[in-house]
Amino acid sequence: MASSLLDPAVDGTPVLDVELPDFTTEAYKSAYSRINAIVIEGEQEAHDNYISLGTLIPDQADELAQLARMEMKHMKGFQACGKNLSVEPDMVFAKEFFSDLHGNFRSALEENKVVTCLVIQALMIEAFAIAAYHIYIPVADPFARKITEGVVKDEYTHLNYGQEWLKANFDSSRDEIIEANKANLPIIRRMLEEVADDAAELKMEKESLIEDFLIAYQEALMDIGFNSRDLARMSAAALVA
Amino acid sequence: MFGLIGHSSSFRDARNTARDLGFEDLADGELDLWCSAPPQLVESFEVTSSTGKTIEGTYIDSCFVPEMLSRFKTATRKVQNAMELAQKRGINITALGGFTSIIFENFNLAKFQQIRSTLLQWDRFTTGNTHTAWVICRQVEQNAPRLGIDLKAAKVAVVGATGDIGSAVCRWMANKTGVAELLLVARQQQRLEDLREELGGGRILTLEQALPEADVVVWVASLPQTLEIDSNSLRKPCLMIDGGYPKNLDSKVISEHVTVLKGGIVEFARDIGWQMMTVADMANPRRQLFACFAEAMLLEFEGIHTNFSWGRNNITLEAMEQIGMASIRHGFSALGIDPNTLNPQPLAA
Repeated sequence: MASSLLDPAVDGTPVLDVELPDFTTEAYKSAYSRINAIVIEGEQEAHDNYISLGTLIPDQADELAQLARMEMKHMKGFQACGKNLSVEPDMVFAKEFFSDLHGNFRSALEENKVVTCLVIQALMIEAFAIAAYHIYIPVADPFARKITEGVVKDEYTHLNYGQEWLKANFDSSRDEIIEANKANLPIIRRMLEEVADDAAELKMEKESLIEDFLIAYQEALMDIGFNSRDLARMSAAALVA
Repeated sequence: MFGLIGHSSSFRDARNTARDLGFEDLADGELDLWCSAPPQLVESFEVTSSTGKTIEGTYIDSCFVPEMLSRFKTATRKVQNAMELAQKRGINITALGGFTSIIFENFNLAKFQQIRSTLLQWDRFTTGNTHTAWVICRQVEQNAPRLGIDLKAAKVAVVGATGDIGSAVCRWMANKTGVAELLLVARQQQRLEDLREELGGGRILTLEQALPEADVVVWVASLPQTLEIDSNSLRKPCLMIDGGYPKNLDSKVISEHVTVLKGGIVEFARDIGWQMMTVADMANPRRQLFACFAEAMLLEFEGIHTNFSWGRNNITLEAMEQIGMASIRHGFSALGIDPNTLNPQPLAA
């Protein structure tokens, strides 16, 4: 229901075209050293997690190993992005950044909790990564942009993999998914907060990072079998700081 | 399946709705939190036409609230993300309700077709403006006589005349209704000149000049909050159709000689099993809805899966007639006034 507008507060054509950051400033490089490290560490952990998941789902170990190899390829791509900008990734920071989620994944693995492992890796981390990559692509340097666009295409494949398993086992997994969501979504939110200032330096806005994460995460949950009310309830923790 | 993209009419309403639905975290959240909220599939429902045909629909709340209008990136994201969700859910035809199509048009979002991995297909969406324009014209035609206004002798002012709905209303009034004179009000002079040329008539006036002369005023523009109308300077009687968004004209004009009718609202012949129009503050929320939403239903009933209303100033008289005939056939009637009580009541279509 569009109408012409007499109210100038609503009218006018704002500029949506993205202004690229200056990739050469110290401030940019400093922020990039942490963001780049997070991405590298994220891909490394994804690799390790998929290999580990293969021990819990032996009949799919081959496919998981293939995914793991892909994550390794992504990691190398992102390492090249750092080198291209002459930035040394701050891996100590990145390991600490992932430590809580990493710890929860390892505990679940030790208890043979496939569902929790899949929620953490295949749903949450993948949704987090896809959101971040989507927001990053328009403001990335040309080299990183190309690499990241290639990664995004791949990332969609794994997200579907986790979804398919949980969807096929929805009835028996439902309670554990809800529990894993409750325990880990606040951690994701905290991670988004921790990265917000550096992301802003790269012209990636926290507001859209959270929204894009939730879009990807809710889409996966809905596909698995949750209804729209479940989604709103389950994802509230990502909105509340 | 058809879809409707809507939003709460204010941040306060949005919080109340969230509380009613049991989402306390959202209800307590500040505007910043809502700015990060993704679009939600709120409900699905069936609608059965007077012809007996039943269709299925889905209501999507974009989580936009008008308070976000000043943040154009946020507003843009809300619209794009809601449209992406509609397309991903496989909805054939979705109406852009409330501010959604206004944001789409004014922020020129047709330039941004790629949303993440989704290439938006414009033919899955409609602004619903053709039906809205037709309903507003029908409201004028049906209700002016009830107030003793003879349209053949009446001056009809269209405020927002050069907009998509406004220009369609002018076109219909000039060609189909035979009003005595059209008074054209809008901000952009060149567009006004072009419109007058197209219509082959009409007088271009400022709002202040037009109001005291008009027997009927069709508002199809959002009103500045600061706008004040001196009710005593208006014609007696005067019919005002509040076809803009949001519909707040009745708070600005209070006079027994002036009848304000909510414009672009239709009533369906039977109850619809949804909750969403309660949120939209309709008097009869089971049956009343925005005409733009009804357009998506009509296109689904008719199997017309295309962007029937799209862009600015593309609405033809033929399209208005086509959607108007469908509107009547499937059981919609334009919201009207009861001449006895002067309370808004539905009239037979």
